[in-house]
Amino acid sequence: MSETPLTQASAHLRHGANIGQSLTRHEGALKVTGQARYAADHHPAGMLHAVLAVSSIARGRVIALDVAAAKAHPGVVDVMTPAHKPPLAQDPDEKTHPFMFRLDVLQNDRVRYPNQPIAVVIAETLEAATEGAVLLAPRYETEPARTDFPAGAHFTPALVGVADPAEAHHGDVEAGLAGAARRLEAIYETPAQYHNPMEPHGIVAAWEGDTLFIDTPSQGLAMAQARIAGLFGIPPAAVHIRSPYIGGGFGSKGVFSGPQVLGIMAARLVGRPVKLVLRRGQMFGPVGHRAPTRQSFRLGADNAGALTAIGHHTVTASSQHDDFFEPAGGVSHTLYASPAIATTYEAVRLDTGTPLFMRAPGKAAGSIALESAIDEMAHACAMDPLAFRLKNYAEVEPMSGKPFSSKALRACYAQGAERFGWAKRPLAPRQMRDAAGMLVGWGMGTATFPALMFQAQARAVLRADGTGVVETGAQDMGQGAWTALGQIAADSLALDPDRVEFRAGSSDLPDAGIAGGSAHTATAGMAIHGAGADVIARLAELAMGDERSPLHGAGNAGVIARAGRLFRRDDESRSESYVAILARAGIPAIEGHGKSATDPAAQAAYAMHAHGAVFAEVTVDPDLGQLRVTRLVGAFAAGRIINPRMVQSQYYGGMVWGLSFALHEQAVIDPRSGRPMNANLGEYHVPVNADLPSIEAILVEEHDAHVNALGIKGVGEIGITGTAGAIANAVWHATGMRARRFPITLDKLIGPQDN
Amino acid sequence: MAGYSRPTDLAAALSLLAERRPVILAGGTDHFPARVAAGPAEDILDITALGGLRAIERRGDHLWVPCLATWADLGAANLPAGLEALTQAAAQIGGVQIQNTATLCGNLCNASPAADGIPPLLALDAEVELASLAGRRRMSLDAFLLGPRQTARRPEEMLLGLHIPLPVAPSRSVFAKLGARRYLVISIVMLALVAEFGADGMISRARVAVGACGPRARRLPALEAALAGARPDPALLRRAHLAPLLPIDDMRGTAAYRLDAVATLLRRALAGMVPA
Ligand SMILES: Cc1cc2nc3c(=O)[nH]c(=O)nc-3n(C[C@H](O)[C@H](O)[C@H](O)COP(=O)(O)OP(=O)(O)OC[C@H]3O[C@@H](n4cnc5c(N)ncnc54)[C@H](O)[C@@H]3O)c2cc1C
Repeated sequence: MSETPLTQASAHLRHGANIGQSLTRHEGALKVTGQARYAADHHPAGMLHAVLAVSSIARGRVIALDVAAAKAHPGVVDVMTPAHKPPLAQDPDEKTHPFMFRLDVLQNDRVRYPNQPIAVVIAETLEAATEGAVLLAPRYETEPARTDFPAGAHFTPALVGVADPAEAHHGDVEAGLAGAARRLEAIYETPAQYHNPMEPHGIVAAWEGDTLFIDTPSQGLAMAQARIAGLFGIPPAAVHIRSPYIGGGFGSKGVFSGPQVLGIMAARLVGRPVKLVLRRGQMFGPVGHRAPTRQSFRLGADNAGALTAIGHHTVTASSQHDDFFEPAGGVSHTLYASPAIATTYEAVRLDTGTPLFMRAPGKAAGSIALESAIDEMAHACAMDPLAFRLKNYAEVEPMSGKPFSSKALRACYAQGAERFGWAKRPLAPRQMRDAAGMLVGWGMGTATFPALMFQAQARAVLRADGTGVVETGAQDMGQGAWTALGQIAADSLALDPDRVEFRAGSSDLPDAGIAGGSAHTATAGMAIHGAGADVIARLAELAMGDERSPLHGAGNAGVIARAGRLFRRDDESRSESYVAILARAGIPAIEGHGKSATDPAAQAAYAMHAHGAVFAEVTVDPDLGQLRVTRLVGAFAAGRIINPRMVQSQYYGGMVWGLSFALHEQAVIDPRSGRPMNANLGEYHVPVNADLPSIEAILVEEHDAHVNALGIKGVGEIGITGTAGAIANAVWHATGMRARRFPITLDKLIGPQDN
Repeated sequence: MAGYSRPTDLAAALSLLAERRPVILAGGTDHFPARVAAGPAEDILDITALGGLRAIERRGDHLWVPCLATWADLGAANLPAGLEALTQAAAQIGGVQIQNTATLCGNLCNASPAADGIPPLLALDAEVELASLAGRRRMSLDAFLLGPRQTARRPEEMLLGLHIPLPVAPSRSVFAKLGARRYLVISIVMLALVAEFGADGMISRARVAVGACGPRARRLPALEAALAGARPDPALLRRAHLAPLLPIDDMRGTAAYRLDAVATLLRRALAGMVPA
């Protein structure tokens, strides 16, 4: 049963019971039976296959391509090169807003990173296109690759992340350090990482005149539509993108990538539908990555273990040709109370593709370093790491001084510690062994992620038969948007979910904002909620203004909507069904619209973040350094939980990525060629199932009256924060060896300690 | 244009080999990953339809592992005591999908320095049997492996199968693989230890082979000699026994770490060895 209470003031007061239900995945059966059609499953009639040729050098020029050999290969239809390509209406190197990144779409013969597209072979079959691409046998004028990190030439970036300042100060860090009883200086290094969703970037593009139809995975349909429209000089409405299912994106499908544009160009060139899918190795270049960081911490604490200063200096890298600077310092602004905090940045430029938003951008890399530093300081103060964190608990956001819109972190610490059994942890490292003689360690970390909102719109329709349709171009990348937003949609109309059709995953629908920043449920959800409430308000007006309705004259008392009926709020014996109201009025349907955006007043007044506490147990083989995570317990508070089952999965997934960050993921760059040496899933490690321990995620109750009317924060990315640091800290607790260079590999725990 | 043939009959396969010297394709789990970006057009001889070359059998004094036997087949074969290392290796190569498809012979012919199948087979003194139109020849696996990705197979030959001597004395063997995650991982090091025991519980003969510590896997003759006539005792291991190993630093581990890990794994293999 669902209900939407209505007063004249606001339809956004309380929410019905079907929010909060653990419905199973809307599209689950389709996915496990192979019927869910992903972008590359679409094969329109007459479709050709396109394969990229990518650069094997990091810097220089392409001086020769054997186009004749490729074209002579049977089945090859055309070869797109800088000299032979359809014109674009906009320079792909132009930037007009902060979410716009330079693209490599054959605008010239320059090579600016390895795996950059340098030609596209279009053929009747995938095999012919693949072989044609090899026959191009490119020759290069090669310049030395600039791969030195963090050496290289440093500069201070103007902005980091989307638009954060590169320097932020609160109080006087030098004074805080000078007056400290204990000081810690430590440097932590995180490697370059690549998103590697299971589904590579791909596109099936078909032009009909100047109208474009594409199937492609996208975390931001309206943004992609606008980008394509700009590049091809057509109105956004002429671009129709379908993206009902996305096989993971992790940020790499947030901005429209060069290879996707090349698929559209190829279709234009040959005048037939074209499919282009990246090979795994080609994902290590043109579709973003997380830049490496080198983070220097300077912490001070007084005799009682209260922090007196946090200095967090990040060196990171962008590409030679565009700007994205991993905002690792952000976590230090929000997590621990300190009278003095400073975050600063430097950067170098490398011959790589441009880094981009990846799985908790800034937060993940910043969190593993900050949580390690906090752990080191707790040890220096001879304090339990949880007691130290509680001692430095931030009652207001330390950097801004703003109160938190809500913050149930104490409850997260308490519930997580209780479930994990943290109280039994010996203070000193190397104290515990398991039955097999392995060293055992326990560590913890605090998780945090901002509660963001973007802008979105939705449309809701109530039909005469009492069923509803709710539409917004939401993107489900596996996180459960179909399900959770469908629940909000049903609730907004006060109908059972099986009476409401929820439509998403198409750019023809209202803009649902981006599935990113852990903000999709809040953003799209609020628009849906508004659209449903708009319908109910119109319906109520219709009923209350009609003398023949039992609701006539409800006036200021108002009505409440529940399970397809409106009830008089002050007398529930007086009610009428939606069907009856519409039938009497002779109206086939009522349409409502909703919009969502951040509330600037609330933003100015409150700091808005989700929080959590993660506890980890590891075992380390004392002779081999072999390391296993045996237990992870996370407790997270993220406001209203729409669907506990989906949310738990998001936390599990985040914690798995945290394990992956701490122990596995890293791109290894060959300093001679500048190429990633492990551009495949055999050697770019992520954990396999057997590496995953028992994982528990506790949903801690939290009510937030300020983030948005639904009280929703985000859950998608927070799990990676806290977890990676908790594991690193557990490794220290097991071994007494502090790994400061991530990932922590076996050899770092054995032999001379130069890590 | 390159051709693709999948004969059902060995003679046909061997004539093709003699005529066109095609690339041999078995499970394809090394073949295809090496060609993601397509190489030049090549003739392929797919041997997976050849009859009678799948079943693992005892033949007199040895085990016959024909060229289409997969790691899963080996894992399911009820091997006698002394060949445990093979069963253990069969469970640790790749993941289940790989084990169901990949052949032992492909692992040997590919001759990667990190091939997990090589140390146990080297320690068990396996022999390879090669076939061509000119006839068959047998040689020790040690002689077959020339270096990284190099074998003594001639282009017109195919590897027909392996002969693995069955233990004559009461024996035990063990395989150990060290990787940076649990499955689907290229080994940092791996090794196999085979010990035959006398009636006194002493090792009468030991054979040890170590992989991923040099251009190809190596036996450790000095250690084998030191173990002969002794109880399986970790204290017998000396650094000098590892002299044949020439590991390198790479992204999976440093040379120093590899040597250290080999020593640890050998000690553990010895400590865990219960006389047969
Ligand atoms: C995901 C993944 C994980 C893996 N994990 C491991 C691992 O943990 N340990 C490990 O050692 N390997 C691993 N491998 C490598 C591979 O699976 C093994 O080496 C396997 O045994 C190869 O057998 P195949 O039948 O697939 O060989 P193919 O790929 O078919 O052939 C390999 C080579 O041998 C040649 N060849 C094959 N059969 C014959 C024959 N009868 N005569 C002559 N030449 C022949 C081929 O021409 C080719 O050069 C992995 C591979 C993948 C893709």
